[in-house]
Amino acid sequence: MSHGDFAQLLEMYGLRFPSVEASPSPPSSSVGTHGTTVIAVKFDQGVLNVADRRATAGNAIFSEDAEKILKLDDETLIAIAGSYAAAFEAVRFLQHSLKYYARSQLQEMSLEGKLSEVSRVLSRALPSALQGIGGFLPIVSAFDRAKNEGRIFFYDVMGARFESREFGAAGSGAERIRGSFEYIVRTKGPFHTMKLEQALSETLLLLEIAASLDTATGGIRHSLPLAKIVTAEGIFDVPEETLRSIQKTLVKE
Amino acid sequence: MAFTPYDWQQTLRQKADYVEDRLREGSPIVGLSCHEGVLLVTVRRSQQRKIFEIYDRLAFAGLGNQSDLETIRQIAVDFAHAEGFARSPHDVSIQRVVGVALSPALKQSFSDPLRLPLVVRGLFAQLGDSPQDDLFYLLNYDGEFSLAHRCGVAAGTEGAREAMERVLTAFTQKTPKRDAALEKALEAWAVGRREAGATSASDWRAVLAEALETSAVEAALLERHSRRERCFRLLSAEELKPFLLR
Repeated sequence: MSHGDFAQLLEMYGLRFPSVEASPSPPSSSVGTHGTTVIAVKFDQGVLNVADRRATAGNAIFSEDAEKILKLDDETLIAIAGSYAAAFEAVRFLQHSLKYYARSQLQEMSLEGKLSEVSRVLSRALPSALQGIGGFLPIVSAFDRAKNEGRIFFYDVMGARFESREFGAAGSGAERIRGSFEYIVRTKGPFHTMKLEQALSETLLLLEIAASLDTATGGIRHSLPLAKIVTAEGIFDVPEETLRSIQKTLVKE
Repeated sequence: MAFTPYDWQQTLRQKADYVEDRLREGSPIVGLSCHEGVLLVTVRRSQQRKIFEIYDRLAFAGLGNQSDLETIRQIAVDFAHAEGFARSPHDVSIQRVVGVALSPALKQSFSDPLRLPLVVRGLFAQLGDSPQDDLFYLLNYDGEFSLAHRCGVAAGTEGAREAMERVLTAFTQKTPKRDAALEKALEAWAVGRREAGATSASDWRAVLAEALETSAVEAALLERHSRRERCFRLLSAEELKPFLLR
């Protein structure tokens, strides 16, 4: 028995997580809705996350209003790409898991603990990911109080965790723009020294490029992307007006 | 060994006496609605906390055995989080936590002749969108519970509870600000302490001052307009200081 373990609590209450388990029937990759491109980059105050608003189901655009950046708790952001159903259930699980730990054990879970919890969730979702129906990739952004800096972690589908110095991206559109991050870092300098304004316009442009190379990515033309930051003061939404003015400049060019 | 109805009644009475004896000297708990949220206040002798976060808008404080407070707290936290995940955080209410998860379990444990009763009297508070929607549930060791608005009190004796409620009821006609509420809560606490006969001082400030020689104020706020996910927080020593020096 591990104290403060939310998965065990759910078992005690007869609740299953993940609620969808892999079935022995042949896989079908067209089942379910998928979120596409999410980006995390550092800036001088912390970490910025941006994502387009598109969710697709096969060739169909399912929603242009999807939210793919979510709060895990008051100092941790998670951005998700891949199976929407699996990712959302995982995030809901993680949110409750962290709150449950803090409240039942009367102490906060460490950043390391939170990151392992994300790995565990991914490994639980692995059977359905292997079937091609429930795979998703998270990027976790946190403000590390001990080091006084923002940190970015990304995962593979089995739950292996990697830390990134400057940026992280996931989703179908992200694969196509990987090289562009490197280009920006080498020509314009590292993201972690940029002001928020610059980091925002670089990442929105990256989203727009991703949209032009990937049909599943919504980009910034049709609907305003979502942007959140995590800093020493907590988590904040980037206001719509700010995004709109950057959108205007970029789309005109 | 067979139990006759007489034995059973006798057992319950003895158990009740046993619990009441142990609760009598317990430090009272005050809950108060204010503009900024819901305030829970007590004074504790030991280092152990008496006020706890249960769920997004729920808090709990109690008097009695620390281990029994812990039992109640764990049941409430477990139930709230399993429900909040299975349905939604909006489906976790004080009524379900106290009325459904805790009260029947406490009742059963209390009326089982072979079990030691829990020595606990708890106050649950639920933060609403406005002070009128705040709720307080008083939960007794025998599983009985009662609902109150605006303010709630848990104390070692009936007399202390009534005296404390008299202090608070007149005051809560209009919604107070946090600092005024905190001061009133400390007054109510001291009145309850005096009523329970645990002190020789008569003025409430003197009662409080006497208690603070060996004890410390513990106060928590469920913040109404917090932008944080978790709106529960313990007030810091810094925030409490101005109320302790006078």
